[in-house]
Amino acid sequence: MDELEIIQGCLRKSQSSCREMVEAYGNLVMSMALNVVGNRQDAEDICQETFLQVFLHLDRFDQARSFKTWLLTIVYRRSLDMIKKKRRFAEFSARARFEPAVVERGGNPHPGAPDPLPSALLKALSPRERTALCLWANEGYTAKDISEVLACSASTARVYLFNARRKIKSSLENDHGLLQND
Amino acid sequence: MAFCRMIDVLYAAVPLGWLRGFLIRGHMDACPACQARLASRAEVKRLFVASEEVGTNGELWERVSARALAAAGAAKREPAPAGALWRWAAAAAAAAVIAVTGFWLLREVQRPGFNAAAVRPADRFEIAYVNVEGAPAQTFVYQPQGSDTVFVWAARIP
Repeated sequence: MDELEIIQGCLRKSQSSCREMVEAYGNLVMSMALNVVGNRQDAEDICQETFLQVFLHLDRFDQARSFKTWLLTIVYRRSLDMIKKKRRFAEFSARARFEPAVVERGGNPHPGAPDPLPSALLKALSPRERTALCLWANEGYTAKDISEVLACSASTARVYLFNARRKIKSSLENDHGLLQND
Repeated sequence: MAFCRMIDVLYAAVPLGWLRGFLIRGHMDACPACQARLASRAEVKRLFVASEEVGTNGELWERVSARALAAAGAAKREPAPAGALWRWAAAAAAAAVIAVTGFWLLREVQRPGFNAAAVRPADRFEIAYVNVEGAPAQTFVYQPQGSDTVFVWAARIP
């Protein structure tokens, strides 16, 4: 079943098509959410919410555009919402730390879960920069594609990407040993 | 190299998106020295989780379908019974009565002359005239000593 058939099936409320969609894009959505929020539990919530939103509003999707980009836009917005929610909670509980979004390196609480992200590198990036960088590195997106997900101009997306790459390089140079203990 | 540094200073000093975009496209994207100061795709890629590494397919569909069913169930929930509507109507009526009564009391309290405590007692008792059956009457006023009570005796003039 190709992408268009899956979408058409979901629009007809076919359960098998919905299942196909989750199976086809589940890993992409999960990895994107995990890369933006840095926490598996939150990423799973985002993943479920994203697919619910997709099934609910699939009729709004413009089929002339890329479905993957539309999907990743929803993931990004859900992730931002989650980060804001976490931030409000962190402010409320007066814990100004990045801990909710990052698990300590080396101690993986979920067997089978991928390694958590290095906190020092994540801290240096804003959610927008992290998203731009993740799309560029993992999905091979250009600044124009990234701008569609971030809902900004291509020029702004280029700046986010540039700043993120520069910060990462600087962090890698400053903390060179961090990645060598993999 | 000096030109790169100048571009860098300009980039840092002017935080305008369009200008920064222009500098990136015009110089930094093409300059090997500037590119060397950016993380490469390979360097960045190893920091992030790739989609192949996640592996959540089966359980994800179960969770999503369970939540979708729950959401659909909530949407199809029966509307509130008629009794609930009457309770709301009764509560609204009670609130309206309380509001009207409060408004009336407020108006009464704020009326001039309402404040009885502020009114000074009369220094003396006065009667301008007394009529009995439409004709001026003979009137006697008597106040016992040491008492606030005042007796008024009016009699028709024969």
